[in-house]
Formats: sequence, C-alpha cells, structure tokens
Amino acid sequence: MVFINNSKKSNKILIVDDSEMNRAILSEMLDNEYEIIEAADGGQAIAILQKSSVEISLVLLDIVMPVMDGFEVLAIMNKKRWIQDIPVIMISAETAPSYIDRAYDLGVTDFISRPFDSLVVRRRVVNTIMLYSKQKKLAGLVADQIYEKEKNNSLMINILSHIVEFRNGESGLHILHVQTFTDILLKCLVKKTDKYNLSASDISLISNASALHDIGKISIPEEILNKPGRLTSEEFEVMKTHSLVGASMLDELPFYKDEPLVKVAYEICRWHHERYDGRGYPDGLKGDEIPISAQIVALADVYDALTSERVYKKAFPHETAMNMILNGECGTFNPLLLDCLKDSAENIITELKENSISNHNEKEMKNIANELLRHDELSASERTLRQLEQEQIKYEFFTNVSDEIWFEFTSDPPMLTLSDLGSKKLGLNKVTINPYQNNQINSMFDISTLQGFVNTFQNTTFENPIVNFNFRVLIDGKYKYCKAIGRSMWTSDNSPEYIGAIGKITDITDENV
Amino acid sequence: MTLTECYTLLEGNYDDVVARLNSENLVKKFVYKFLEDSSYETLINSLEAGDYKEAFRAAHTIKGICQNLSFTKLFKSSNNLTEALRTEEKCDVTELLNQVKCDYEQTYSAIKALKEEDV
Repeated sequence: MVFINNSKKSNKILIVDDSEMNRAILSEMLDNEYEIIEAADGGQAIAILQKSSVEISLVLLDIVMPVMDGFEVLAIMNKKRWIQDIPVIMISAETAPSYIDRAYDLGVTDFISRPFDSLVVRRRVVNTIMLYSKQKKLAGLVADQIYEKEKNNSLMINILSHIVEFRNGESGLHILHVQTFTDILLKCLVKKTDKYNLSASDISLISNASALHDIGKISIPEEILNKPGRLTSEEFEVMKTHSLVGASMLDELPFYKDEPLVKVAYEICRWHHERYDGRGYPDGLKGDEIPISAQIVALADVYDALTSERVYKKAFPHETAMNMILNGECGTFNPLLLDCLKDSAENIITELKENSISNHNEKEMKNIANELLRHDELSASERTLRQLEQEQIKYEFFTNVSDEIWFEFTSDPPMLTLSDLGSKKLGLNKVTINPYQNNQINSMFDISTLQGFVNTFQNTTFENPIVNFNFRVLIDGKYKYCKAIGRSMWTSDNSPEYIGAIGKITDITDENV
Repeated sequence: MTLTECYTLLEGNYDDVVARLNSENLVKKFVYKFLEDSSYETLINSLEAGDYKEAFRAAHTIKGICQNLSFTKLFKSSNNLTEALRTEEKCDVTELLNQVKCDYEQTYSAIKALKEEDV
C-alpha cells in the first residue's frame, strides 16, 4: 500500500486519549506521515483546538476520559463549528450502537473500535484527510468563483450606470450614493419588520439593481436632461417617460429577462417615481402596491438629489433635506421608511463624508465577504484561513515579546489562556479550563476579586467594551498589586453576544509601596 | 524466552497482535510499556478510596490496552470489572477485582521475565 509520503509532514493529527499507551500505539502507526499532537483528556484537546484549530487536519478522539469526555469535546466542536472543518475519527472500545449512533449524530466522520489494526487506522486516516482537503480545495475554488462573479457583476452594472450619469453631466457619485443609502435603509428596515420578507441576498440584489434606476434617461434629449432652469410642463412630461422607458428596456431584453436582478431592476426603473399616496407616476400605484425595492430607491434618490448640487440647484445640508422629506415637501413615503431614514441619519452622514469610489469598492468586498459567510460550506475558505493564521502568528509574537501579562478568557467553555510570560509570572498553566473552579486560582485571588472580574466584564456592553480595574493577587505568599485593562469580546452578528474578554495586567506593587 | 512464549504465559493471542500491529518489534515495545502504565495502581487506589467513577475509567483504560495488545485473559476480567463499575453504583466488585488482580500479576510477571532475559 502506498501512503502519501511528504518529506515535510504538512498534516497535523491530534490524538486524544487518556491512556498514554494507546496514544503511543496510534502515534507509532501514523508518525511517519503526520505530525502528531497528543492530548490526555478532553480539556487539553479543546485548549489545543482553541489555539490552533486551523492547523489540525484530523482528530482521533477517545470517548471515556477524565475532565471532559469525548462526547463533550464533540459538543463543543459543534458549538464552535470546528466540526465543519476538522474531521474527527472516534476511537473506542465501546461498541454499543447507542455510543456509535451518538458519535455519528455529533458529526464524527468515522468510528474505529479497539483493538486497532494498523492498516485500518492508517487507511481511514489517509482517506479522511484526503476527503477533507479535497473538499476544502473545492470550497476555496467556489469561493474564488463567487468572488470573481460578484466582482464582474457589480463592475458591469457600474459601467452601465456610469454611462447614464456621464450623459447627465454627473460624477457617478449619485449612483454610488443611492446604492449606499438603499443598502443602509434596507438593513434598517429588516431590523424593524419582517413584513417584506427580505433575505440578505435580496438586500444585495436590490442595492445592486438600484444602480440602474435611471437607465431610461438615455432616451431623454440632452437639452431637457441638462437644462439649467426649471422644466416647462411639456419638458417635464418628456422627462417623466424615463421610468417607463427604463422598464421596457429591461422588459425587452432578449435574454435573462427572468433573472432576479433584471426583475428587481425592472420594478425599480418603473416605479421609483411612484408616491405612497398614489400621486406619483407612471402608474399611480399606492402604498405597498409599490414594490418595496422601488419605495426604498425612491427615498434614497430624493435624499441624494436634495443633498447634492445639480445644474438647477445648490446642495442642501443634511438637516434641511431631512426636514423637507419628513415634512412631506418632496412627496409622501411609507412611514416605516421615514423611520428608517431617521434612524439611519447618522450612518448616512458618515457615509456621505467617507464615500468615495475607492472605499466603495472596499465595501463591495465586505458585502461579498458577508455573502460568502452566509454559505456554511464556505466558512473556511482558504483565503480566510490564511488571514486567520497570520493574525494568530502576529498575536502570539506581540504577547510573547511584551513584558506584561496578557490574558484571554472565553466564557463557553470557560477557559483562561495566558501569555508565556503571564503564565510564568503568575505560576499558572498557560491554559486553565474552568478557572472559577481551579483551586490554585481560588487560592491566589480573593473571592471578591474573582467575582469582580466576572461582574465588570459582564456589565460592559458591545458599544463600551473597555474596562480598567485594580486588584491584588497572592503570589508565593506575597500580595502583588496589579492593574488590568481589558476588553470584552462579542459575536459579530446582529445581536452581539458576550463571548469572553481579553486584556493585560501590569504589576504596580512598587508604585503602591 | 521469546515474545511468543511470553504471550503463552500471560494467556494472550500473539498471532492476532502481530497481524494488527504489523511488526514484532513494535509489539515488544508496547508490551514493555505495559510495565510502566499506572492505570492498575489508579484502579486499586480509587476503589480503596471509594471513587467509583475514577475506578471505572482506570478499568476501562486497562481493558483498552489489553484489547490493543491482545492480552486475552486480562482483557476478559478487566472488561467484566469495567461493566460492573459502569453504573457508578456501589456494588460488590470484590470477586471481579480479585480476578483482575490475579490476571494482572500473571501478565505483569510474564512480561517482566521476558524483559529481564532480554537485557
């Protein structure tokens, strides 16, 4: 049998078993081809995974172990979603179907029962690693393709809408602004109501399509389009045709008419001059007869028209524009959308100040990245993994060269990680599972201090995560006085959840004396 | 004494273990490692202290090792003890434990004899 024979062992296997002998046997079977990391219980395994989950290609996991058993390890791997990227082969003397079922339910790839047969172990390990690396490669390929596709998509739309603007004598910023405001308003809207049933991909679709809202203007004669003064009513009638013209241009597309992007763009082109009270054009639609995409783009369009300079007018400041819209001087809008506009006001001002072509692209990238994150199977694309790895190297470097104590606390599972120097100075392990229940930690800190840590961090908010506090700690029978600065950590979704804290501790005993 | 003879002494299955681990040297290496394994002490101590949970884990470990090394006799008795201890309820395991003690001594002395001759 031929095994992958890399002179450089590129794959790391984590062997988790409480019996040293069993680890040794497995290690002996595999260490020609793989780098082996060993853990003697579930707690150690989680600590290793927490630190370097990206580097581990496979976990061989025993079930019955002290501290934390194999099933608990699997539960945490599920919670942290590591199980999606790291294959686990369960190894155990347990052969009861209930055990095996439970292991498979928790996402293990394979189950090897004792006694080990070296050929079986090696073959299964090789197969599993190959399968996963193929899958990762494919996921990376798909991610790159989506990225390219999205890039080309928005590129084409931007060129097209820029042509329209160009003829308008405008800079192209209007399109970008409308797109940005549409995006902001939509995101605000979905937080307020699920009435419109908008998914994340709907939002990006509508924002993208919003760039096409004025394509009908290419049919408008230039003297009317760029007339500095007020339009006569005949001229205005001509101008008004741009919404229908834009819509029929899309409707008459020989291909792709049924593409979601084209459909949404059609709605926007046709109805972005309708009014909520039914007094708009071309169809006089009323209320929610007007598709939400068109309602939003209409509001974004009006806001940007007011705050930008045009051939026929100066730019109004934000406050004036807001007042004019909210007082109904520029048409009537869905009250829910007006609420969104009010709520997003600050957001919009910042965007206006910062919005330029260059960081628009950056935002585009962010949207694409979010798009990718929504696909579970792509959550670990090579791109992100590489970045993560580099961040970890940086982080480790900085914490190790610093002469302060750096700590990291995760709340679930409760685990305290210290920098090299931190663990030396405090005389604690680098990683402590369940620090509240750790005898050594409890003997070093007063109960009130420990409770204080917990309360201080739990009382922080996502907006104000940084805290300072002083405390004393007993090291080698002597009290040391320390000050700490820390930052609570939160999940990065819509409703952030507290997941732990990071920070550094400075010894100020000398200052106190 | 050869490794085969040692397996006969401790009533294990030599052919089986060599077929699985694929090398006589490897088998010998792990068989010697058995002498250093502390699970047996853990088993005795935790049973004395009434810590049945720990005792279960220790018995389970011994059973796993015996399975891997094809120590058939000690596997059987340690397996019986493991199953009795699994419930964590205080039950009388004296008889099962005595069997494990007896088989462990037999296994241990057979390996020790092999090692002493080897040196």
